[in-house]
This record gives sequence, structure tokens and C-alpha cells, in this order.
Amino acid sequence: MTILGEIALWIALPAALWGAVVSFAGGRFGRSDLVLSGERTVHVVTFLLVLVSAGIIAAFLGNRYEYYYVVNYSNRELDTYFKVAGLWAGQRGSLVFWTVLLSGFSSIAVFLNRFRNREFMPYVSGTLLGILSFLLIVLLFADVNPFERLGFTRANGLGLNPQLQNYWMTIHPPTLYLGFTAFAVPFAFAVSALLTGRLDSRWIAVTRRWILLSWFFLTIGIIFGMRWAYEELGWGGYWFWDPVENASLLPWLTATAFLHSIQIQENRGMLKVWNMVLVVLTFLLTIFATFLTRSGLIESVHSFAENLRIAYIFLGFMGGMAIVAAILIIHRLPSLKSENHFQSFLSRESAFLFNNLLLVGVTFAVAWGTLFPLITEGFFGETRNVGPPYFNRVNIPIGLLLLALMGIGPVIAWRRASRRNLLRNFTIPLAAGGVTLGVLLALGIRHGFALATFAIGAFVMTVVVTEFWKGTKARARIAGEGFMSALGNLVGRNRRRWGGYIVHAGVVVLFMGLAGAAFDRLVVQELVPGEAMTVRSALGTEYRLVYESLSHSRPRVAEDVDENDWRWTALMTAYRNGERIGILRPERRFYPVMDQASTEVGISSSALEDLYVIPRELDNQSDRASFEVKLLPLVPWIWYGGMVVAIGTLVGLWPPRTAPATAAVRRRAARGAAPAGAPG
Amino acid sequence: MSVLIGGVLLAAGVMLFILEPVFSGKGAPLYDGDDAYDDGAARRRVALTALRDLEYDRATGKLDEDDYGRLRTELSHEALAHLGEEEGGGDGGRGPDRASRELEEEIAQLRRAIREGMQCSGCEHLNRSGARFCARCGEGLGGGG
Repeated sequence: MTILGEIALWIALPAALWGAVVSFAGGRFGRSDLVLSGERTVHVVTFLLVLVSAGIIAAFLGNRYEYYYVVNYSNRELDTYFKVAGLWAGQRGSLVFWTVLLSGFSSIAVFLNRFRNREFMPYVSGTLLGILSFLLIVLLFADVNPFERLGFTRANGLGLNPQLQNYWMTIHPPTLYLGFTAFAVPFAFAVSALLTGRLDSRWIAVTRRWILLSWFFLTIGIIFGMRWAYEELGWGGYWFWDPVENASLLPWLTATAFLHSIQIQENRGMLKVWNMVLVVLTFLLTIFATFLTRSGLIESVHSFAENLRIAYIFLGFMGGMAIVAAILIIHRLPSLKSENHFQSFLSRESAFLFNNLLLVGVTFAVAWGTLFPLITEGFFGETRNVGPPYFNRVNIPIGLLLLALMGIGPVIAWRRASRRNLLRNFTIPLAAGGVTLGVLLALGIRHGFALATFAIGAFVMTVVVTEFWKGTKARARIAGEGFMSALGNLVGRNRRRWGGYIVHAGVVVLFMGLAGAAFDRLVVQELVPGEAMTVRSALGTEYRLVYESLSHSRPRVAEDVDENDWRWTALMTAYRNGERIGILRPERRFYPVMDQASTEVGISSSALEDLYVIPRELDNQSDRASFEVKLLPLVPWIWYGGMVVAIGTLVGLWPPRTAPATAAVRRRAARGAAPAGAPG
Repeated sequence: MSVLIGGVLLAAGVMLFILEPVFSGKGAPLYDGDDAYDDGAARRRVALTALRDLEYDRATGKLDEDDYGRLRTELSHEALAHLGEEEGGGDGGRGPDRASRELEEEIAQLRRAIREGMQCSGCEHLNRSGARFCARCGEGLGGGG
């Protein structure tokens, strides 16, 4: 199987190159046979890359320690699902995984558009196959071949980094990569629009769902990553402003800006150049996020530095793509003129534009902070880092402004808002924000950013709830429907709008969860079995932890290496306000193959806060242990908010009702004539 | 040996599949003809959606009559302008597409309901035009009750 995978990799490159060339040629010279050949190539490359991936997974599962990649990311004792996840554990496999997901999405895009958007499709296939060809060249010729052999066979592998041995490892990277790669499709359509000169909003209408799909995966991927960091890195944080985290945030930020600015283009025929710039930028940032940060160019907890050469290759690729895109956009500037202009600062267009400027501002701030060590090294010869204080100082105020815009955008009128429009719609939400602020101040809360987050959050939430309430009531009244069916129909008939509002509500909840960090409490205490400790949270809840015992999964002095890890688990009974809530199992692990230790925290969640127990030291002989206990108010809201965001995105993503194409239409289309139906 | 044969067969299969259209002359369609998307129609749908939302905004009290009137005029002009584009299009004057027609019907229904709807004197529920009893409280409406 593994050899077959290796052969498939070698066949895939010439196939992809052929496909890229004939697709562009077919489009340019109107040769339908070449176009068909190109589209078939997309499917063939996908098939071959599935074989490549299967080959790598087979090598992991079969403990094939003659392969360099398998040796470096696995060992015999590793659990099966981590062996499967070996496909994306390191740089070489990640590259294959990225490539196979990209080709999978390319195949879906080609298949869905086999009868429609035909003018675009040759260039779409060509662009996607061009990117795939580049990735295959890198895989085969840039010292990152996942099938590289050592020349001898090792008895065992070197093991997988303990931090990656967490179930999120099987979920988070694939989700994020799905988000990254799905964005290549809108990018390919944008290039195609530039090449064909069809620069109306068609490419946006066609790819809108792809953009949302990509955004959906990026969002939940980032949130899964936060959850992973929260559970695994063991200090109660979920975001470290680590280069790889930042890198995944960058395309998310520009994609979010893009999701908003395309609405201006669709509604008002404005911001056409800007949208082109954003789609190209987002695509380039997905490449940046996947490859540059993993290359060791920028140090991070995520990067298992392997190969700097690959960083330069990808930098070159990004530069090349940026130049080609810039030339195309400049060439088409006359066709990308705005059809309208901004009529007033107080309008929904302005709110959207402001949202875009802020999001791009955050993107630059985050990129600057992430690249700062590299820049200082380049110019001053010494590496200087900017830490979380820099990122927080810059991004929290911008984040709060963005939050406020989520309340302003939905109710301010298009074109020009009159004073009456503002008064009518903002009085109640502003009052809600003011009351929230007053109550929190009265409760003695003085943390500025937390106060601002809750007040603005209340304002936005009131706007969203009022919108739903008024809209449903109006529909119920006018259409004579019951409340629930009116709500269903309201959302169903404009899913993008109402899905968007649900997303905004989720973001509010998420922001409040982040603001909860202002009220964290920390206690460190040493205990022997039988002893207890008591901690009181900022919300007034009293927690009592009884240290029951320490259990060992291995003999106290062990020389065996036939287990993947040895565990020392502290058993603690937790009580909330005197009521037993369960057993926590904070744990220390030792990975003999890697010769590394790791910490597993014990977490007990309620709707309002988390009890978070970190085992600091566990003494083998006396069973004495020291624990760091954190009370983290509102952390669960981050995950709840994330879920609401995901649900809102799915509402926006859900396909509209369309009449199924009749057999006659399909027959007509199959003959190469005209199909009909709603756009994608 | 079997691996080599497998590889050769795989390569041969791939070549056959992707080169076949070039030799057989089979092709993928290059144009949609009766295009699933046309910019005029899309812009019209956008304008109509905005018009429909405008009716709701008015009904919910988000907009007062002046703002409503101004925006309604602007959006109606836009929708009509793109209708003109559509009908003047290359293929002999198609009417508006299905989605646009549905939106237009919905807008008309909304306006009718607001204009002629029978508001219940008891519970203020706005009933469909022609209704004789209030759908919410059962109170008789107008002269018919």
C-alpha cells in the first residue's frame, strides 16, 4: 500500500501539470476537449492523492520504521488513532494532507459546476491544478518527501510529541485545514473572473457558500484549537498569541472582512477592487498559516522545526501569486469601478467599511507582532519578541469597537440614516448597555475592559434579540402565522441575514467569556491524601477539593518501555457550595520513548465557571502533591459562544429551496446546450 | 515485480482517462447559454430583497414614513432599472426569474396586508384582508362580523 502511495505521488505531478496547462489552453482557445481533459485530471489527482495519504497512514499503522517521517512522529506503543493522525503530525504529512484536501474540494467544485458557470470553469480547474502542481513539486523535490527512506530499519520510532497526544489532535488540525483549503475555491473563481473579464458579482454569488463553508471550518478549527490549548498546555489559558495561533487567525480575520464587504458589492456594486484584494490576501494567508509557521521560520510551541528551505520556497510562491494577482487586478481596474458611492457616514455601508478597516487593522497588528522577531533579527541581528501584552493592548480596544459595530450594522439604514432612524433603533439597546454598566459598577466591578465588554455586549444582544422579536411579530401579524412558524419562515427566507445575527449573538457570548479572565482566581497548595483545600471564586461560589489518593499506572521504578506513557493520577473529590460535583483526575505523564513529561489538568465545568486543577508536583514516595487551583469565571461561555457561532453559520450555509432540475434540463445540458437553475 | 506492474497499470489508467477526450473529441460545455446567473437578475433580486425587508422594517416601526418613502423610491427604481436590463438582454426578453417573481408576490402581499388588512379592535392583531373574524382572538371584524 505504501509503495503504491509513493508511485501515485509520482504519477500525480505530471498529471496535475498536464491538467493545469490544458485547462488554461482549453479556456483560452475554446477547446472543449482540453477543458474536459483538465476537469478529469482534477478528479484523477484527487484519487491519486487519496492513495498517497492511504500509503502514509498504512506506513504508520504497519510500524514501518524505515521511513524517516514515520520514525519521527510515531512509535510502536502509540494508540492507533494517533498513528492515523500521524498524517498531519509533521510538516511532510501536513503538506500531503493539505494537498489532498485541496484536491478534494477542487473535485467537488468541478463536479458541482459541470453544467453551470462554464465560462469560469477552465480557469478554475487551471488555477486549482496549478496550485496542486506546485505543492506536488515541493513534496517531491524539496526534501520533504514523506516516503523518504532511512536506508535501514529502526526497531522503534522516536515517538509523537506528548502535547500532540490529545484527542483534539485528531479533530483540530483537520478542521482548520478544511477551512484553509476550502478558501482556494473562491480564490480560483476570483482569478477566473479576472482572466475572463466577467467582473460583475457573479463570482461572488457562485462562491458565497464556499466562503461561508471555509469560514465555518476556520472558526470551529480555531475554537477547537483554543479548547485543546486550554486542556493540554496546562495553565488555564486558551490563547497565547503564539505564532501558529496568530497565523490561523490572520486568514480568519480577512475572511471575516471579506464576508462583510461582499455584501456591499452585491447590494451596492461597490468595493470591487477591495474584494479582489481580500480574496487574494486571505488565500495567501492560508498558505502562510499552514506552511511558514510550521517551517521553523518563526519559533512557536507548535513548530517542530524541520526545514527552512521550504519556508523560502513558500515565501517565493506567495510573492509570485501576489504579483500575478496584482497585475491581473491592475489590468482590470477599469472594469472594477464602483457603481455607487458612499452617501453618508451614518449608513450601513459605512458601518461595513469601518468593520473592514478594523479587521484589516487587527490583521496587520497581529501579523506585525508575529513577524516582529523575524524583522528585528533581519534588521538588528537580534531576535526580539513581543508578548501577549502587546497583542492585548492593540487588539482588545479594536475588538471592542468591532463588537459595537455588530450592534450598529444590523439596524442602521442603508445609504443614509436619518436622526429619527437612529433614535428609533438605538434608544433601547443603548439603555440596555447603560443599565448593564450601572449594575456592574454598583456591584463593585472596576475592570475597564470587562465593563466595556459587558456593556457593549448587552447593547449588541439587545439589538439582535429586538430584531428577531420585531421581525417575527411583524411576520406573524402580516402573514397571519403563529409565532414559531413566523420565526421559522422569517429566518428561512433570508438565511444569510438571520444566520448572521445568530453568529453575532454567539460572538457576544464568546467575548463575555473572554472578559471573564479579568476575574480569575488562583490558589497553590500542598496536600497529602485525606487533606482538603477551599477556594472561593469571584462569583462567590465556594469550592472544596479533597485529595483522596495518588494512583500509579506503572511501578514506581520502571524500566519497561512497552507502554506509551506512565501515569500518576491524583484523585480529588470536588464540592461546590457543599454539594459533591464529582471526581477530578489531574495527572502527570511520562513518555519514555520521547523522554518527556506532560501535565493533564482536571476540569469541572458549571454554566458560569470552570474549576481548573493543575498538578504541579506529585511525589512518588510520600504521595504528597502540590496543586495549582484556578477558578476561571465565564470560560464555558467561550465554548457556548463558539457553538452559537457555528449554528448561525450553518443557518447561513443551508441551501435555499430550489426546484430540482428536470430530466429534460439535464438532457439538454448533457448535450452541451443550456442548463437552467439558481446559481450556487 | 507486482508493485511495478501495479504502478504501470495505474499510470496507464490515468493517462487513458485524462487523454481520452483529446482523442475522441468529447468535450465539456464551454458556455451556459441560458445562463443560471445574470448580473441584472441578481441585482434585481438584491433590490427586491431589500424592498421586502423595508416593508418589514416599516411594519416593525424601525423606519418612519419619510425614510420608508425615500428608500422605497430608490429601491423600486433600482429593481425596475435591472428589470429593463434583463428584458433587453440578448435572448429575446425573458421575464423576471422565479426567485424575483416570488419576492415580488411577497412584497405585494405585505403591502396589501398593511394597506387593507383588518386590524382587530380588540387585540390589534392585523388580519388578512377579507377576514371576517380575528385569527387571534376570534372577535368579529368590520361590518361582516
